Amino acid sequence: MKKTISLVAALMMVSGVVAAHPFNEAFNEQRAMYGKGHSFTWNGQTYITDHPEEIAAAVVANAANATALLAAAKDQYTQVLAVDFGWTLTKNLLKSAGKALETGEFRKSMDLSAQAQYHSRMGIAQYHQSQAEWIMAVPE
Amino acid sequence: MKIIKSLLAGASLALVASISQAATSGNTLATVDPEADRSAMQSYFQKRFPQVALSDYVNGIYALDAPSREQWQSIEEFPPYEFDIEEGEALFNKTFANGKSYADCFANGGIGIRQNFPRWDASQGKVVTLELAINQCRKANGEEALGWKKGKIAQISAYMAFTSRDNVFDVQIPNDKAKAAYLDGKQSFYARRGQLNMSCANCHIAGAYIKIRADLPGPTLGHVTHFPVFRSKWGELGTLQRRYGGCQKNVRGVPQKTQGEKFRNLEFFQTYMSNGLVVNGPGARK
Repeated sequence: MKKTISLVAALMMVSGVVAAHPFNEAFNEQRAMYGKGHSFTWNGQTYITDHPEEIAAAVVANAANATALLAAAKDQYTQVLAVDFGWTLTKNLLKSAGKALETGEFRKSMDLSAQAQYHSRMGIAQYHQSQAEWIMAVPE
Repeated sequence: MKIIKSLLAGASLALVASISQAATSGNTLATVDPEADRSAMQSYFQKRFPQVALSDYVNGIYALDAPSREQWQSIEEFPPYEFDIEEGEALFNKTFANGKSYADCFANGGIGIRQNFPRWDASQGKVVTLELAINQCRKANGEEALGWKKGKIAQISAYMAFTSRDNVFDVQIPNDKAKAAYLDGKQSFYARRGQLNMSCANCHIAGAYIKIRADLPGPTLGHVTHFPVFRSKWGELGTLQRRYGGCQKNVRGVPQKTQGEKFRNLEFFQTYMSNGLVVNGPGARK
């Protein structure tokens, strides 16, 4: 079930065109109101308000998992910078995640990596959305 | 799984609809019409602020907000950029080690030419801003390039703008490559970016003269005419692209490269929008 939910959530956020979908609106509303870890029902199905990165980080906090998550977050950051749509906070999140990993604070490192990866994924989604929709803002 | 299939089908339809709608809206090289864009932009502001003369847009937010204008006029009694113009003139006239000077690099000896920048350079195949031309001149004469955002380059640019005051902006788009650069700049202007998900247009078209916290964003029309500016926040002179980077940081986006292709194309688009208005740089802003 968790796999299905995270897959749906990921699909929702990949494209800005999809971002306008009612599910995404419902997800964002629930997330804004209740934060992560909250269950809600949409079209008869139950979902949780976790982002895919948070679901990926919800594993045992150890050096191997923290290292893998940080590597994935850095990879995603490289991808968002490649399309020139990086966000300013991401770099420091990655830096902090790296420091936490070094000092053995694996849970902290994993949570920061998840947040950084989310930022980068959203930046990439924003890039695609901008490509598709910028023209709508031009005065006629 | 049924939900995923439905969502993907919906997404596909939405994408097709989006593309077919945009195809006739000036977002391709075949359909983009810079003059129509400029006319639409000017018409938008004239309809929204009918009491403001088109020529007054060179004064930015001070064309729209009377109290701000009053403060600005007080500042302009003793312009904070005055010494920078003098310094810029001295730098401009200083000869390079090889005996040549900036005057040798520009048409009309570099005097009264601000209105022609940025310009499409066919030999380089790219948009050349005034600041880029200044540094290209230096390099061609064996000098080190200056930093892009402030200091000497802003002072030289300020002096060149000062000698061009009241000249009418006349940015040309001579061919399809130039038009592609214009289109790229147009896209950048309207593309949302950063964690706050905002575009230049959000603040400077729809958001012009609408408070963002304690500030009133100026209209994009006439934005470029008064650069470089002495900004009170900076406490010094800065270039237009310094401001671009600051805007992108304000929306929590990683700023694009100063004088990189994206910013040069953005400046090309934005200046074209102000064609017909006069140069009044350097200026003073909050």
